[in-house]
Amino acid sequence: MPGPVRLAIAAVAIAGSIGCGSSPITQARIEQAIAPTFANLVHAQVKWLGLPPMAASDFAVRASCRKLMAGSNSGSGEWACTLVWLGPDRQPLRDSFDLFVTTDGCYTATASGESLGGPTLRATDGSHVRNLLYAFDGCFDTT
Amino acid sequence: MTLRSLSAVAAVIDVECAKLAAQIKVRLLLAVCAAAPFVFAVVMRIQSSVPSDTLFGRAIKESGFAVPLVVLGFAALWAFPVLTSVVGGDIFSAEDRYGTWKTVLTRSRSRAEVFAGKVLTAIGFSCIAVAVLALSSVASGVLVIGPQPLVDLTGVLVPPSQALIRVVLAWASVLPPALGFTALAVVLSVATKSSAAGIGLPVVAGLTMQLYTFVDGPEMVRQLMITSAFGAWHGLLSEPPYYRPLVHGALVSAAYVVVCLAIAYRMLRRRDIGG
Repeated sequence: MPGPVRLAIAAVAIAGSIGCGSSPITQARIEQAIAPTFANLVHAQVKWLGLPPMAASDFAVRASCRKLMAGSNSGSGEWACTLVWLGPDRQPLRDSFDLFVTTDGCYTATASGESLGGPTLRATDGSHVRNLLYAFDGCFDTT
Repeated sequence: MTLRSLSAVAAVIDVECAKLAAQIKVRLLLAVCAAAPFVFAVVMRIQSSVPSDTLFGRAIKESGFAVPLVVLGFAALWAFPVLTSVVGGDIFSAEDRYGTWKTVLTRSRSRAEVFAGKVLTAIGFSCIAVAVLALSSVASGVLVIGPQPLVDLTGVLVPPSQALIRVVLAWASVLPPALGFTALAVVLSVATKSSAAGIGLPVVAGLTMQLYTFVDGPEMVRQLMITSAFGAWHGLLSEPPYYRPLVHGALVSAAYVVVCLAIAYRMLRRRDIGG
């Protein structure tokens, strides 16, 4: 067998071992990615606004996501997530996000209601800061 | 490989570098790599809108470290296939275009030495082009926007020193697929004897692979696309970081390099140049 053909077969074999089958974009992976990311962003937002600091784990974020296409709950495309979390005053809050997830495991989440405010927020010192929770990007491992 | 062969390859590299240095397109390309990120950063600072459809685009006015990551995202789509093919896709076919193969091969250099010298020159240029774009992107971000902390892809606020290290590693991670594209350009340059095909076809292949990633097709096929390796850096900007896409990307890139160069060498060795 000629050398380059052997090399090509070896390359396909290596690549084939990397993985195949159903989509790695799953409900569980999206929920496990967006919940801690949202908690970290709330932590950073509290700091930017000049409010008393809180640990990301204090927000106790739980995510519930579903794909916006009947008959499928995996794969890239449009998803909707509901996040239940504890606000700075320990009151339970509920927010919804529209997600667009790409095949490489990256997503853009956009708040679907007004409860989290607009694109910018006013900090305690009067300055305007970006609302990190209004729209954010994230990625997760698909391998 | 003997010392004499190494010296012969070094001589070929010297000649190829001198030829490259005399080409306006090569100088122009490196100048664009050095200047474009500064223009981009200044425009971002002046205008009110941000490139929110790109990772880190929303953060571009808050942290200078977002600039090299936005540039990295754009470059993966459009620039890397061009940057890495412009020399590799022309370095062999130029000898066909000018009819200089007989002159080159009647010198005291074997085909293997000429092949190795030309390939190493093409690889070297690709590395330099990526490095210039990386350095310019980081410098433009830090100088024009500022070295503020960066919010990563998992919402964690990363301090400037850590952000700089991760940005540099992210840029380093695109070198394997960049070399894969260079090898693809080399084999097309040898096979078609045409610089237009050697430079153009890898760019078309890159765009086709990018288009495939928009489709929810089999994951194995997506991972076989060398362009997927251009996005393997996402794991470096996450907390905790994940590295498996980097390993997969490096393996796929290495396979492209080995297969393409083996085929190119075989074709060059068997070619009837004496006429």
